[in-house]
Amino acid sequence: MELSRLRWVAPFFVMGSLLGAVPPAQWVPARWHWTDPSTLDLLAGSPINCLLLKSYNPAFVQKAAERGIATLAVLTPGVDPAEAARQAVQAKLQGVVLEGDFPDAAAERVKDLLAGSHAVVVQLTARNKMKLGGPDPIVGTYQGVWPGIQVAENGEAKAAPSGNPWIDTNSGFIRSVRVWGSPAIWIGNLPPERTIVTGQRYLQVISDAEVYGARWIVALDQDFANRLQHGDAAARQDWQRIGQYLKYFEDHRDWRSWSPYGQLAVVQDPKNGGLLSGGIIDMIAAKHTPVRPVPLALLSQDSLKGASMAVDVDPQALTPAQRAVLQSFTRGGGTLLSGPPGWKDSVAGNSITLDKAELDRLNDIWHDVQSMIGRKNLGARLFNVASMLSFLESSPDGKQVVVHLINYSGYPIENVTVHMLSEYHHARLITPEGVRKDLELYKTEEGSGVDIDAVSVCATLELD
Amino acid sequence: MTRREWIALMGAAPLMKAAPNAPAAPVSIAKCASYNEDVTAKLAAMFDQLGGLDRMVRNKTVTIKLNLTGSPGLRFQGKPLGVTHYTHPKVVGATAYLLGKAGARRIRFVESGWALSGPLEEYLLDSGWNVRQLASAAPGVEFENTNNLGKGKKYSRFTVPGGGYMYPAYDLNHAFEDTDVFVSLAKLKNHATCGITLSLKNCFGNSPASIYGDDAGTDEPNEKPQSGRGATFHAGKRQPPKSAPQELHPDTNHDPGYRVPHIVADLVAARPVDLAIIDGIESVAGGEGPWIRGLRLVQPGVMIAGTNPVCTDAVAAAVMGYDPRATRGTRPFQTCDNTLLLAEGHGVGTTDLNRIEVRGVPVAQALYKFDA
Repeated sequence: MELSRLRWVAPFFVMGSLLGAVPPAQWVPARWHWTDPSTLDLLAGSPINCLLLKSYNPAFVQKAAERGIATLAVLTPGVDPAEAARQAVQAKLQGVVLEGDFPDAAAERVKDLLAGSHAVVVQLTARNKMKLGGPDPIVGTYQGVWPGIQVAENGEAKAAPSGNPWIDTNSGFIRSVRVWGSPAIWIGNLPPERTIVTGQRYLQVISDAEVYGARWIVALDQDFANRLQHGDAAARQDWQRIGQYLKYFEDHRDWRSWSPYGQLAVVQDPKNGGLLSGGIIDMIAAKHTPVRPVPLALLSQDSLKGASMAVDVDPQALTPAQRAVLQSFTRGGGTLLSGPPGWKDSVAGNSITLDKAELDRLNDIWHDVQSMIGRKNLGARLFNVASMLSFLESSPDGKQVVVHLINYSGYPIENVTVHMLSEYHHARLITPEGVRKDLELYKTEEGSGVDIDAVSVCATLELD
Repeated sequence: MTRREWIALMGAAPLMKAAPNAPAAPVSIAKCASYNEDVTAKLAAMFDQLGGLDRMVRNKTVTIKLNLTGSPGLRFQGKPLGVTHYTHPKVVGATAYLLGKAGARRIRFVESGWALSGPLEEYLLDSGWNVRQLASAAPGVEFENTNNLGKGKKYSRFTVPGGGYMYPAYDLNHAFEDTDVFVSLAKLKNHATCGITLSLKNCFGNSPASIYGDDAGTDEPNEKPQSGRGATFHAGKRQPPKSAPQELHPDTNHDPGYRVPHIVADLVAARPVDLAIIDGIESVAGGEGPWIRGLRLVQPGVMIAGTNPVCTDAVAAAVMGYDPRATRGTRPFQTCDNTLLLAEGHGVGTTDLNRIEVRGVPVAQALYKFDA
């Protein structure tokens, strides 16, 4: 019966696919609050080209298609996904998003139903249910932390004389997923409820995904959406900046094919902590040590190429072949730090962060990692970046390196210094706001140094 | 404090017990509304009012203790550290320039940065300072992390004249000995433990965490300290390594409000301050850093300098609206002893405002009440 449905579903998609010439991997998604076709005018000049709809009508879908904007129906557990998918495709939407914890069989049933059409099925699952390394053009999750500086109960950044503020981020998770080579990674978490979200916070959230090669599904809080719909000037300005940031990353889409740059590798099983937020990858990254995740299943001599240090989080999980790879690494001069026996930063169920007991256990290995790294430059050392996260990537030919900086504080950070491990000849700062400025390079003991005057929310240092 | 209150305080001052032999020295005050003003010119005028830098520093090594308390990663309301609780780099750069111009042979910046075992330059970079610019402000600029041995090979021992309140002597980084002139370049602030932190309290940071830190060794220093001095200095829960002089009366008092002021007084008696400079252009009130609840931004718009740290701090306390001779239980010393009086007791300098000549702007005109 489902095949017979497909026969009449498919023709609609011929037209749909012609209109939506943009391949799904290049969709820039947003959750859309409205079904009034006139709201599509908000997308003028914006790179958003894919709308996730909880409800829709023919006029809206048609108008979107005319503008080359893909529309996807969001299906959540509790409905018959196959029937809902059929209706969506019949209504000429380009596909469906299965968001939530559907039974595996249900998702497969929808895929089978639409297999002969051009309709796309995007699954936003729990992190630990993501099909990494699979054929889907888009992998995604509905789970994410709301990126930003962690705030204490009194409303201030958690502080003591001893430490830096902790930044909640999805970056470690995204980096771990990206290694598997998915064409596109979507992260679908929503703004926190009963919280005022400023325009600047949205820019941080977008950057927290885009810098690392994922796309946050733009999701405006209800207040922002209402103000935007009613033409509030401040909301319009914030919306424009959101578009500006998205465009910046789409204009530099090639970065998504670049490789993480740095000499420290963390070998970790995605099933055992590799997809967490606040785990070992994020802790190392918070110290601005360039780090690259190596999933256990992908561990090979090639995956450790260029690394001088490696952390093996769970040595007991190694196969003999994997153990041989790490032995070869140390024989070649690499430094290997192995987690203590029985240690793994795993969590039960669908949780994406570590509880206090797990964090305490993580400290065991964290202190060793810190001692091992010390003041060594493993690609770059950054200064005055306590409220920032950074990410280094190199071009496929290795001739260019970029240093992405995301500022999670509410203030511009002035006087950031970057000490690169190698010598470079040209340095340029670019930002989503349109800054394009050559910077002076100077020699340091380790290679090249460069000073950046100020970072607003996001900036990229290009070096060659 | 109104002008009338100030005059009343001056009138009452002789009634209080002041150490009669403690030396007095002039103190200069300048108004400076912001760091965008010509800080260098104002400092130059202040140093001239104190008799000029040349005679003090020409062909000499000058060591400058900065105030960079707490991790540079902790910002108050996201503000640059220099406008809140750190000495501002513009004041530091201007001081270096003027010292160089006055003929100083070597200018060495020192600080025992929080959990710092690497170079001070990296701590400064983390603080958002332009180190290259600072290094070129004068000939012979150096940086030394005094939280451990730094670039030295052994610690220098400084004995407290007269015996010391808490310790007979302190082991410090070599930089405090290998110098001709020692400058305390402080910030005008309140302090949770000591009431106020000025040029005297700034010297608490002379002590290396490698020896006085909570993770110091039992027998020897720990050259990679990762903690503060809470257990050793504040609470007296542990002794420094056996290699260093031990506490005179261990386990007799664990009150930080008693211990820290006494230790500070010891330190400034053991390693005298030759020039005290206090940056009060922009600062914080209610505590010494962002980890203190109730902290708030203030703009006193002043700089204060003198050749005697007790006299300088006494004037600075008055500028903050406090009686520099107030005793425990009186603001700002509600829960602590008065460091200034303790230093005076060591004979370092007088707190008697009647004996201190103020040059430049009078106290009454510079008054900025920190308790307002």
